Amino acid sequence: MNRDLRFTALKKTPFHSRTSLASRTNKYYNWNGFTVPTEYSTTELEYTAARNGTSVMDLTPMCKYMINGSDANKFVDYLVTRDLSQMEDNTVAYIIWCNEDGKVMDDGTIFKFSNTKFMLCCAVKIYNWLHDSAEGFDVSFEDATDTTAALAIQGPTSCSTLKNYGADDLELLKPFGMKQYNINGYDVLISRTGFTGDLGYELWTDPANAENMWDSIMEAGKELKIRPFGMHALEMTRIEAGFIQTNTDFMAAEDSLRPVRMRSPYEIGMGWLVHLNKESYFVGKRALKKEKETGNSERCLVGLDIDGDKPAVGSVIYNEKKEDIGIVTAAMWSPTMKRNVALASLKRPYGIKIKENIFAEIYHPEELEYKKIWAKCKVVKRQFFSPERRNKVPADLYE
Amino acid sequence: MSDNYDVIVIGAGHNGLVCANILAKKNRKVLICEARENCGGLVEESITNFVPQIPLSVSSSLGGLPVKYKAKSTIALSESGQHIRLVGNQHIDHKVISGFSSKDADRYVEFHDKMSSFSKALGSFMMASPPRVMNNTFSDYFKLFKLGMNVRMLGKKKFNEFARMIGLNIADELEDNFENTLLQGLIAHDAVLGSNLGPRSPGSLINLLYRMATHDNSIFGGIYEIDGGSKAFVDTLLDISNKNKVEIKTSSSVKRCITENDKAIGVELHSGEKIYAKKIISNADPRSTYFCLLGTENLDTDVKRRIKHHRSKGKVAKLSLSLNKQPEFINCDKNDLESRMVIAPSIDYIEEAFNPSKFDKLSMEPILEMKLKNSDQSNPVLDIQVQYASYGAQEGWDKIKDNYVDAVIKLIGKYAPDIQSCIETKTIVTPDDIEKNFYVSGGHWHHGEIQIDQLFMLRPIPGASQYRTHLDGLYMCGAGTHPGGGLTGIPGKNAAQAILEDA
Repeated sequence: MNRDLRFTALKKTPFHSRTSLASRTNKYYNWNGFTVPTEYSTTELEYTAARNGTSVMDLTPMCKYMINGSDANKFVDYLVTRDLSQMEDNTVAYIIWCNEDGKVMDDGTIFKFSNTKFMLCCAVKIYNWLHDSAEGFDVSFEDATDTTAALAIQGPTSCSTLKNYGADDLELLKPFGMKQYNINGYDVLISRTGFTGDLGYELWTDPANAENMWDSIMEAGKELKIRPFGMHALEMTRIEAGFIQTNTDFMAAEDSLRPVRMRSPYEIGMGWLVHLNKESYFVGKRALKKEKETGNSERCLVGLDIDGDKPAVGSVIYNEKKEDIGIVTAAMWSPTMKRNVALASLKRPYGIKIKENIFAEIYHPEELEYKKIWAKCKVVKRQFFSPERRNKVPADLYE
Repeated sequence: MSDNYDVIVIGAGHNGLVCANILAKKNRKVLICEARENCGGLVEESITNFVPQIPLSVSSSLGGLPVKYKAKSTIALSESGQHIRLVGNQHIDHKVISGFSSKDADRYVEFHDKMSSFSKALGSFMMASPPRVMNNTFSDYFKLFKLGMNVRMLGKKKFNEFARMIGLNIADELEDNFENTLLQGLIAHDAVLGSNLGPRSPGSLINLLYRMATHDNSIFGGIYEIDGGSKAFVDTLLDISNKNKVEIKTSSSVKRCITENDKAIGVELHSGEKIYAKKIISNADPRSTYFCLLGTENLDTDVKRRIKHHRSKGKVAKLSLSLNKQPEFINCDKNDLESRMVIAPSIDYIEEAFNPSKFDKLSMEPILEMKLKNSDQSNPVLDIQVQYASYGAQEGWDKIKDNYVDAVIKLIGKYAPDIQSCIETKTIVTPDDIEKNFYVSGGHWHHGEIQIDQLFMLRPIPGASQYRTHLDGLYMCGAGTHPGGGLTGIPGKNAAQAILEDA
């Protein structure tokens, strides 16, 4: 029968039996070929859990690549713009990588086990890119996307939840650190990383352990306001945290049809990840060096604090002469900050040298009519939400 | 760190020598590092047969190049003895072809005129450095505009015809025009010579136009033999080098480029010796230049991809037969034996020879271009270009070499029955041998296919045209650059110009 079907069904993650049970709304979407919930009950409730308790998200669809070989450390340093030569074992680093024109292809995290073993986590598939880049390096790759189950456990009580689950001394793990555990007979890698800008962890394990892990964590967090959360709630938390998302806040270089849509790291606020003084060459270095020297970056990605309380979703940004100077890529009313915030891609010098007299034209839907709002914006730091507990060691514990 | 030299040229092939001398004449202190014991690269008796004439623009920038050429006519051998002899002169050729078919004779003149006007339109473009369109400079656009104008100036009818023919295969065009299969085979042979194409492969027609542009805009004219052979040519270049005080280090193979702040500042030899210079020029093929000299760790992924996809599998082997006497070719007089002799009896024959090469296999009935060398001092030698002798043949060259040579000799036996008894020694140089002995990856004459995606501003790869590489201070001057291989010296001259422009 199967071969009569025109399309192959989306894959189910190892957590599907549990996520589908937890889903009241049956709202799913396609993430990298997997079906995962957009929301379980209501986005607001899930968001609140993430900010006040523990939230659980199925991360399995993230692309995960194992990089092995005697040149693995040299290779990752060549692949990404950041200088990783001093990176310590059992740590994680946030990275971006570029093509030859110095345009960003994607961002992600790299996990270092040793000089000969790494794991790369990202949104866009890059198996081919890895192979083509590897010419001249002694490395091999394994696509571990389907063979690793991943769960994000985020929120102020997440450390306590995981300690109840069996992760001893987890509160001592530093941000961007990682530690190997054996819990309930399975290896579980726990890293202090996340996409919510809060205290949080990510767990990586064998798919066979997925259901058991989910159940045990739900049990462990029962008194700590644990709740699964979906993509929509994650979107809210990541905007508050000022994290960027590929193909939302900027177009991945390999995905954009129009060359003018490609962005360099300097144009999406990622200049701090470009280490031009890195001794070895990395992909895009020549182009980025030139861009830095000539200062011909055209755009910038900034945070906006917008007057009023109507989210500026998709708004065009203007200067005082009503000239179009950019666009909002993500926007929300932040319930935690009580601020109307947005990420916006602006044409320089706006956002860099000119931070005043910037306006958003907001079309706010009101029962089949749009209310047009001309709202004043302030250029601010992109990290709207960054609580102290996020980086605290030892991490806060609750009972 | 002091620069010992202004320029180091890697490889003393003819383009490297031309480039070095032009720079030396402009008072640059030049060193050439050559991996082999001898200079001249592929300009060697064991490789070269017939050549085009060095263009005036090249010889004049060298201050004259005293090389004598002998024009060669062409003879397409037929088993029946009904050979076609062409000299590249319209009137004479028309008369010869009339002997076979008066229709073909008229058509040939028309065909030749058409092709000739197209190759002339390409011609000016062939000599100069190609434009770099990504640069957005006026002069680059102007060059492109000029090429467009050259073609457009042919008139609307011819322009349409040019557009029709540019991607066409040579077989279709020949079958549309001619009825004589031997004539079809002969022209198709010249269209695919040195390439990885069969007569029915798309793009084989532009290959012929390309060849014509360096051969006096003629199909069978512009084919020469160097007086005194390849050695005389190389010796002349070496004399000039001597006069211009170009230093040449032979048996000095370069391991890699030394870089500082992402700029080439010198070379390191395999012996460990380091030599520094302001500019480095590679006469090596693009793959060696990028993967060995520049180093894979210094390349962007996109560039690695382009170099990996760069097509440079050689398809021509050279077989040299030393003879104890001159063989009797059926129905050939002394004049015929001095000509360029081609065995490619029909388009289908060539296509059959080509077919196995698609799978890196060998046809035992290849196509041949032969030159009989007679000299008073020594035995006659029959030099044969054998195509399609696949690079990295699946059968394994070590195993099949002898059988292959025998097959070629058997084939020649059909046209010269006594050939077997005349042979004293046989030497074959396969593309694999060219790669090993001449350091040309893929063993390709042109250091890379002459096809539309590897021509003009796309040659050798996008982003590296105009003789510059991705590394500051490292240039290319070999056959892998525009306009490609063949004994023209144009890449060498253009590269020298690029370097002088940048200085």
